Amino acid sequence: METKRELGLFSTVMMGLSGAIGFEIFVLLDYTYRLTESGITLTLVLVLAGLLNLIIMFSYCELSAAMPEVGGEYTYIKTAYGGYIAFISGCFRWLASIFGAALAAITFTLQMAYFFSIVAPQFQSLVLAQTPLISVAVVAFFAALDIKGVKQAGSMIVFAFLAIFAVFIVSGILHGLPNIGVSPKPLLENLSGVFASTVYVFPIFFGMRALVAGAAMVKNPEKNVPRGILLSALIIIPLYVCLAFTASGVVSPEEVQPSAPFLNFAAQKIMGEWGGALFAVAGMVASLSALGTSLAVQSSILRGMSRDGYLPKALLSVHKRLGTPYIAIVAGSLFVMFFSAMGVVVFLGYAASFGSLLVFALVNLSLLKLRKEKPHMERPFKTPLYPFTPIIGFIVPIALLVFPVLLGETNAVNAVISSLGLTALVLTTYYLRMVGRRRLQIAVGGIGLGAGVSLALLTFLARLGLISQMFPYVSDYVLFLISIVFIIGGILNIFTQD
Amino acid sequence: MRSRKTVVGIFGMLQSFIALTLIIFTCILYFNFFDVQTFLNIATSYLYLYLTVTIAYGFISLISGVFLLLEWWEKR
Repeated sequence: METKRELGLFSTVMMGLSGAIGFEIFVLLDYTYRLTESGITLTLVLVLAGLLNLIIMFSYCELSAAMPEVGGEYTYIKTAYGGYIAFISGCFRWLASIFGAALAAITFTLQMAYFFSIVAPQFQSLVLAQTPLISVAVVAFFAALDIKGVKQAGSMIVFAFLAIFAVFIVSGILHGLPNIGVSPKPLLENLSGVFASTVYVFPIFFGMRALVAGAAMVKNPEKNVPRGILLSALIIIPLYVCLAFTASGVVSPEEVQPSAPFLNFAAQKIMGEWGGALFAVAGMVASLSALGTSLAVQSSILRGMSRDGYLPKALLSVHKRLGTPYIAIVAGSLFVMFFSAMGVVVFLGYAASFGSLLVFALVNLSLLKLRKEKPHMERPFKTPLYPFTPIIGFIVPIALLVFPVLLGETNAVNAVISSLGLTALVLTTYYLRMVGRRRLQIAVGGIGLGAGVSLALLTFLARLGLISQMFPYVSDYVLFLISIVFIIGGILNIFTQD
Repeated sequence: MRSRKTVVGIFGMLQSFIALTLIIFTCILYFNFFDVQTFLNIATSYLYLYLTVTIAYGFISLISGVFLLLEWWEKR
């Protein structure tokens, strides 16, 4: 069934803003401010990230106007490079959603801790100490809601956020703007910090492309989608820059702590305790909204790849009674819970950024390829300053991706390793599917049989006292029983019947 | 044929159960929930060995169990 095109320009801009106004602003500025050690540098980093995002959005505008159908980036890359590269881009996009959802869950907990610091201080340390556990519980709760098919509020909160931010900025101006002459670290000396910070704050602006995903619902998409993207960028970039500039005027980098998030603390200083509490509530709402969206996005990516035959068909299964894709939701939610339990905000910030940066690079490459190979394709919007814009749009994400790793930023290195590990897992799934199930089942049977025999042998040797016991708290009989299950399971898999 | 179906189903479930237990245990061990590392007297230097062994056995068991369950499901 074809999607109805019923959204005008205003609704399109609202869709872009609802994607861009997210929880990221409440969490990603903290580490950046500590890294750059200056309000001016922080503002510069935000301007840089916003402008780079705008350049990349030009490519999105051209491609979304030329192909205004469901699928967004996946469709553009598939048209340019075919299925396999599109599959890899889908993997990166899925990873970004997974890491983004985990970050949203942790942000919710941190904002809740700050809220408690104002309304019930005795609970703050408890919430902070149990951040991983609470984050996992929130993800589990939202996954259950997703399976039940409960819809979230969505763009309804856009106006509320714009109003809160506007009040904050105006109050800040009345409170007194920061002294722009004071910068603890000269900009050139802190250049590496500027690059690392730009990567780190990049996800703040990612949400704008939500509009691209919804292009299929937009009336007259050739005009409204590019206009919507540009208008939302022109609203959101100055807004966030003003927000960061105002906040840095009242809070020093040293004052930013997990117990005192940057924006909340600034709001508390400017507007009093109720201001801090208001920002905490706003942060919690934004985090929950983003968490719901990310869980839905990741399941839709998994289903899309499954539909195209890249992932097991089981991911397409819909619950008989509730009509929701419960297997895809549960599969992704387990990963989100795992990363939420880590509770490392900086790592998740980089990881969410890396997946999207790679997709951005691929989208710009797709534009270059399509311009060359399909010059007569209908393009209602053309990227200005071609070919420089898509070339910059390709080089900058790759440079931003590589730079923090070369600088040895530990969290960035960990994020790259984790992303590559998960990508390897998904690619392995892809190749294993190509091998065929029967051959794979025999191979797994062999591995299981070997694992069972090894466990039985090690347990026997440990019982004889020839080697030390690895699991002294588990009875030998239990270990023997497990090894027998492995051995029989392995044999059954080896002698599988068609 | 019928007995094979029953055996496949039972061992598929057993392996999946062992897999889930091992994976959950690995997570609890890694994140040190409930101070489990101290409770089980696991030295920090051996922690990653324990994690590798439990996660490897967990995933082998999971994949093997899922294959058996799929076979059982198709023969219903």
